[in-house]
Amino acid sequence: MRLNSIGKKIIRVDGLSKVKGKALYPQDIYMEGMLYGKTLRSSRPHAYINIDTSRAEKIDGVVKVFTYKDVPGKNCHGVLFKDHEVFCSERVRRVGDPIAFVVATNKKAVEEAIEVIDVNYEDIEAVFDPLEAMKEESVKIHGNSNIIYHYKLRKGDVEEAFKRCHVIVESEYKTPMVEHAFLQPEAGIAYTEDDGTIVVCASTQYPHFDQIEVAEALEVNKDKVKIINPAVGGAFGGREDITLQIHLAIAAKVTGRPVKAVYSREESFLAHSKRHSMIMRYKTGCNKDGKLLAMEAEIIGDTGAYASWAINVLRKAGVHATGPYEIPNVKVDSYAVYTNNPFAGAMRGFGATQVPIAHEQQMDMLSEKLNMDPVTFRLKNIFKKGSKTATGQVLEESVPIDRCIKEVADRIGITPLSERGGVV
Amino acid sequence: MKKRGIGIGSIFYGTGYGNGFPDVSKAVAQLKSDGKIAIYVGATEVGQGAKTALSQIAAEVLGLSVDDIVFINEDTSITPDSGTAAASRQTYNTGNAIKLACEKLKRDILEVAKDYLGLNSIVGLTLKNGYVYPKTLPEKRVSLGEISESLESSLKEEAVFTAQTTEMDEETGQGAPYWPYTFSACGVEVEVDTETGRVEIIRAVLAQDVGRAINPELIEGQIDGGFAMGAGYALYEDLKIEKGKIKNNSFTNYLIPTSLDMPDIEKVIIEDPESTAPYGAKGIGEPVMIPVAPAILNAIYDAVGVRMTEIPVTPEKLLKAIKEKEMTYNEGKN
Repeated sequence: MRLNSIGKKIIRVDGLSKVKGKALYPQDIYMEGMLYGKTLRSSRPHAYINIDTSRAEKIDGVVKVFTYKDVPGKNCHGVLFKDHEVFCSERVRRVGDPIAFVVATNKKAVEEAIEVIDVNYEDIEAVFDPLEAMKEESVKIHGNSNIIYHYKLRKGDVEEAFKRCHVIVESEYKTPMVEHAFLQPEAGIAYTEDDGTIVVCASTQYPHFDQIEVAEALEVNKDKVKIINPAVGGAFGGREDITLQIHLAIAAKVTGRPVKAVYSREESFLAHSKRHSMIMRYKTGCNKDGKLLAMEAEIIGDTGAYASWAINVLRKAGVHATGPYEIPNVKVDSYAVYTNNPFAGAMRGFGATQVPIAHEQQMDMLSEKLNMDPVTFRLKNIFKKGSKTATGQVLEESVPIDRCIKEVADRIGITPLSERGGVV
Repeated sequence: MKKRGIGIGSIFYGTGYGNGFPDVSKAVAQLKSDGKIAIYVGATEVGQGAKTALSQIAAEVLGLSVDDIVFINEDTSITPDSGTAAASRQTYNTGNAIKLACEKLKRDILEVAKDYLGLNSIVGLTLKNGYVYPKTLPEKRVSLGEISESLESSLKEEAVFTAQTTEMDEETGQGAPYWPYTFSACGVEVEVDTETGRVEIIRAVLAQDVGRAINPELIEGQIDGGFAMGAGYALYEDLKIEKGKIKNNSFTNYLIPTSLDMPDIEKVIIEDPESTAPYGAKGIGEPVMIPVAPAILNAIYDAVGVRMTEIPVTPEKLLKAIKEKEMTYNEGKN
């Protein structure tokens, strides 16, 4: 196939405006008569709350302090479960939960008002360790169980297969929650058009989904909501869940004026999701020729106070738990668990980023025990065209993992372990 | 003492929503009055290069340059839903929708050109550089601008692409949850300072399966960014969450790699076109980062002989592990 455009190193079409500083981010937008908004967030991980905004509303310049009482429609949102409240009504479940949104004519008034909103916290026992949270007697974050998902993968007979293994390695791995650290902290501006359409201009990954969630909170038809998505300074999954979009939309609708909010870096850390921390217990075995025979894994993912994409993330972790290797006997159990930690959601790799921390070290440990170099060992076991994954899916084309590994090994210069007389 | 080691990591990654969830992208292609083509999609440009790569797909179908594509993706009131800019799905999903819409639009254009030029058939008509002509008689031609002007309403086509994904069995997890899968491998050489526990990345190679490269430079950019994110994950990034509170909540103490921490990365693009993908191109936004951290961990082991099962491998943690290993070794000697 002769191609003219595909395969060409064409300069990014949005590149020039970005390098010249001309690209318009929501931070850069100013409108006549606009108000400034700021969110009051929970300082406690788990507590019942009572809010008194009367002192804040008396501050000169404050137009309104919004709380759960001011949400016209559904006071909830969420990509899968609607378990986030737009503003917490009775209870906070994590440090950083939004409680109120102050809107004022100037930034100084906003800051002053935030300080004098009285929140009376009545602390509830909190749980931060997902293993504790899984126990029957643990305090519950939502509903009757903190375990919100259990993915089971079963292929062959691992118990029988481990008996046939020449070498078995077992280990537990831990990965932490981490931050997307995109360059542009959350920012947005909302306003009303002449026909009553609410416009929310904010950096997001999925404008059409935000449109639905904003419409539900406003209790309007989604055609009366428009999301404008100007330049976005990185996302990596951290802009999948709603942050300020609904707050701005409600404020603009009620005040009839444009309302703008810009998060500081510190607030950005608090406002959006994190990567799921995981505890991964792995047992992997192979025969004396280095052919993988069995793998068993238990994966526990901490989704913190809200579900976000936890189900999909732990499912993806489970599906990818083997790594790119054909293993005839596989048993995987992955769990998503609520705690009072920051909430976790989508982040680059979506559950498939954590499991290689485990499976790739397992591969090296097995190859070392066999006194085989890690490249030879991998090439013996990797997926090929026609291979079946642990879920039984046939990889019937475009499976060039052998070429990827060979290119890397050749260029980085992996010396077979045997030639080095083993490792230090 | 400074000790060096080499490690590799290899991974696979299923792109798209997965598990039977409808993975749908819509795209609209329209011939504008000036002869340029407008593409309307709800696919966000988050910095990954969607505007450019997806414009290249439209340009390829219509025989145009990217400069002739007007790419509109910022406003829900005028764009169709193309799903989220996540799951490494936009190039594959929305790329397919754009390709289908442009193919339909191309056919419409050829039909109009046939009448305009007084021809009997669209067979053998070429659309290239903004002109339509019979391939055997290039002088007999009409421009896209002329075609557009000759029409009362503009030519416009919409297309929908829905990826194939099946729901897995609840008890056994069996099924075909994702498609396509993308593969990659990473190799690194590290230098560990056994007195400070600091790990420096000396060299790195990353080979990424892309199906077919739409824009090699954008892929290389993704590899650089993905490597940095993977290195941060393995070595630096620690929120220090205590009783649910994030202690490291700014870049003063939440450390991410700077350009000084980054080696030159040797980037290898592996092509093996996927037949269901637009020109064979698969999503790569996520997989570029995934093999990096495990490669670093394996390299640390190769350098100093300790298995770091908990990340990030901060100097404190690594130093402690090295000391413990030395103690065990010395006890063994005595």
